[in-house]
Amino acid sequence: MAKDMEQLYSDRMKRYVTAMRNEKPDMVPIRPFVAEFTAKYAGYTCQEVTHDYEKAFAAARKCAADFDWDAVVGNMVYVWTGLTEAIGTKYYAVPGIHIPADTGFQYLEPPEEKAFMKPEEYDQLIEDPTGFLFNVWLPRISADVSAIGEATSLRNNLSFLKGGMAMLDYFSAFGTQNERLRKESGTVSAISGILKAPFDIIADKLRGYLGLVTDVIERPEKVLAACEALVPHLTHVALSGADPDKNVPIGLWMHRGCVPFFSQDHFDKFFWPTLKPIIEEIWRHGHQVLFYAEGNWNAHLDSFAELPDGAIVYHVDKADIFEVHKKIGHKFCLSGGISNTLLSFGTADEVRENCKKVIEGVAQDGGYVLDAEAIMQNDAKVENIRAMTEAAREYGVY
Amino acid sequence: MAGQKKVKRKPGVCVPWEEKLKELPEIKGDKELLKRVWEDIDGLGYVYIWQCLLSF
Repeated sequence: MAKDMEQLYSDRMKRYVTAMRNEKPDMVPIRPFVAEFTAKYAGYTCQEVTHDYEKAFAAARKCAADFDWDAVVGNMVYVWTGLTEAIGTKYYAVPGIHIPADTGFQYLEPPEEKAFMKPEEYDQLIEDPTGFLFNVWLPRISADVSAIGEATSLRNNLSFLKGGMAMLDYFSAFGTQNERLRKESGTVSAISGILKAPFDIIADKLRGYLGLVTDVIERPEKVLAACEALVPHLTHVALSGADPDKNVPIGLWMHRGCVPFFSQDHFDKFFWPTLKPIIEEIWRHGHQVLFYAEGNWNAHLDSFAELPDGAIVYHVDKADIFEVHKKIGHKFCLSGGISNTLLSFGTADEVRENCKKVIEGVAQDGGYVLDAEAIMQNDAKVENIRAMTEAAREYGVY
Repeated sequence: MAGQKKVKRKPGVCVPWEEKLKELPEIKGDKELLKRVWEDIDGLGYVYIWQCLLSF
């Protein structure tokens, strides 16, 4: 049995990697980013899988064992609110605390005037990003951490102790989870390592979207310098978490750096010149990056096409996947494109038809990994996820 | 960050070994061992803050 699982794992890894190298495997690999759907399927609430990572891991393993999927993320819910609560993190609405127990966790962006970084603090971030995060950012995003110069407290000290130990515990548990996925269901762990674009992370966690919109007009040189200051750190973090075997990609989570959140000029001036060198450096180390292009990034496909062939896997969310295939399919493997709306509100037949259309349209020469447009939460219907899996196997054999 | 010493921190580093070394008496044993272990554990602090920013 164990040997069969190892063979299954090996076959799936080969299929997944071949497609990501933009080549033609034996069949279209299935790599669904199933998040809170795993809770629904395994009989847990969102609170249970968000706050108790062992339940999240168990739910992911159950799905991997029951569906014929080639690769999954060990816990696509990912944010463990046990950890974030231990740190005192302010920016999450936690299922069972701030929102109903069966609603997925939410990120809460503060109002512009309460952004976690003030507009006059760019120089501090530019001078010493790591110091700024510890000394300025962390005390603002945590209810427990004291700012420099403030009185310390038991809760301050415990935030670091509990947060550090919890993070080590959680990341270590992923190793065990990935081994169990391999041995128990022959499933590949789909990604390794994390990356965000410098421009995106400034909007997400520092200045907020509205703050950054103002800054690109009022202090553009500071924004660019801050993005440049983040480049070596984000590169280092991405590479430090990358797959040592160089099989699976580093995940790049793309948020609001695109048109229409920002203009083409802003993309050209801030976003792309400070992301591109990171991708090129990662590629020089032999790792692919999964561009998880949330929303619609089709205005920027020409820029992405500047990257070396095969350097990225490009995931399509709300964009027209056929247009994406036409423009960059010759250079990069694509993933995604299966409608979340149909998975949640459509029929199984509609999902099958959608899968058939996408496979016929973009996967004929290989270079496609089947997945939904966006992560699948607890509104996705079980019968539709099953239909997606079956359709991939029916129409996706070469 | 008034009162804080300005340090150019490289990626992967919170408190550079060179800074720590200045605080220690003359090293009587294996300096490289001390450096390696300091940097390994210091790197965990770096992972902590950047993962707080990026992952959580």
